[in-house]
Amino acid sequence: MKVTMPVDDAVIQKLQVNDTLEISGVIYCGRDAVLPKIVKTLEEGAWDSEKIPLEGYAVFHTAVSPAGIGPTSSNKLDIEGSIPGLSKAGIRFHIGKGSLKKETVEALKENNSVFLVTPPNTALLTSKIQSQEIAAYPEEGMEAFTRLIVTDFPAIVAIAHGKSIFDKEGGKPQ
Amino acid sequence: MTYEEIVRKTSDTLIQASTVFRPDQEEAYRMAVKKERNPNAKWVLESILENAAVAEKTKFPLCDDTGIPHVFLEVGDRASLPGGFQSAIREGIADGLRRLPGRPMGVKGGDAERLSQCCGLSEDSGAVALAPIQIRELPDSDRVRLTVIMMGGGPEIRGKTLRVFHKHSAEVVIDEMVQWATEGCDKLGCLPAVLGFGIGRSNLEAASLSLEAMCRGDFSRQSPMEQEITRRVNESGIGPLGLGGRTTALATFLKVGPQRASGVRIVSMRVGCCFDPRRATVEL
Repeated sequence: MKVTMPVDDAVIQKLQVNDTLEISGVIYCGRDAVLPKIVKTLEEGAWDSEKIPLEGYAVFHTAVSPAGIGPTSSNKLDIEGSIPGLSKAGIRFHIGKGSLKKETVEALKENNSVFLVTPPNTALLTSKIQSQEIAAYPEEGMEAFTRLIVTDFPAIVAIAHGKSIFDKEGGKPQ
Repeated sequence: MTYEEIVRKTSDTLIQASTVFRPDQEEAYRMAVKKERNPNAKWVLESILENAAVAEKTKFPLCDDTGIPHVFLEVGDRASLPGGFQSAIREGIADGLRRLPGRPMGVKGGDAERLSQCCGLSEDSGAVALAPIQIRELPDSDRVRLTVIMMGGGPEIRGKTLRVFHKHSAEVVIDEMVQWATEGCDKLGCLPAVLGFGIGRSNLEAASLSLEAMCRGDFSRQSPMEQEITRRVNESGIGPLGLGGRTTALATFLKVGPQRASGVRIVSMRVGCCFDPRRATVEL
């Protein structure tokens, strides 16, 4: 299914675990260093959402280095811990790899957000980038919050509406 | 074998290792795609092949964790090495990392600072230092063969080197290896894994043999023990990217070294990722 960012709630409602997506438009990138900082800024009410809108957008758990992009494990404490806060602030797609715990699955459901996974295919994923610029926290270097514009970025829906592909009963095809 | 030749060949070999699948590796993936019934597993395996095709064509890294460079040298017992040999290899590695480009992840500072990472990272991709070189002998030869192998971080978290009480049974050791590997695969996102094992008499020997297994292993030539480990790990059904399926491990590379007269065997395991072993070999 082709999806253009930002997405509205109706699109999210239709998505099911196991759906494969091709995403085009803006994807933000961040990981361990920057995501907790963003959640803290959001909690303090200090996020400039006109300058950096989050509603309906995606966060891809990756660094952006000269060696390209590729998913890091989303179940690392700092990354998984940011998912509820970012979902509340409007992030609809969290893109990474690895299973997430039950509480996070619940938080995604409550906020009508989903978790997508993509294989660590750096050469392929990097070839989908049309442009990139640092959106916030440039001092974090390759872990800065970065805005990419991508075309047909591949991912698969792993967690949606309380169901997880990683659970035995989560709708995993045999 | 001039200094400049060694630098250039080492640099080119690092880029080859980081960007190209070998034919036996590609074939192993094609066979795995055919065996899978789970559409998600097929999708992941096919995308890994597509990534390899793009990486080779664009000379771009297979993975953005471009890894820690390791060198495995095979030196003929009649070969002579020129002065500056090791400096040339180090220079070639740094040059290859800059050209790739490797992820700039060399940690700056003195001992304590490097541990806490408080002085940050070097911006120079070439500042990721080469690991200590491993050497083997080529009997009755005047040749020198150099293998560059790039070791990503995920597999390091899931690997270990530990003693196994064998109870005078190879099966006991294999059972333990299968258990370690299955636990490691469950936590490694980047599946299918390529398992690397060395079994030796000391922790160092076992780890070195594990590297040798990864440097020499061939996907199309699997020993009965290697096949057994792969088959049993695949019974877990964890599957590519952890999405379920028949291919949790693509292959196993095992090197059994000499053993100690004792009740223990030292086993070193690397739960290699889906691009492992990222390696290439050149004759100097």
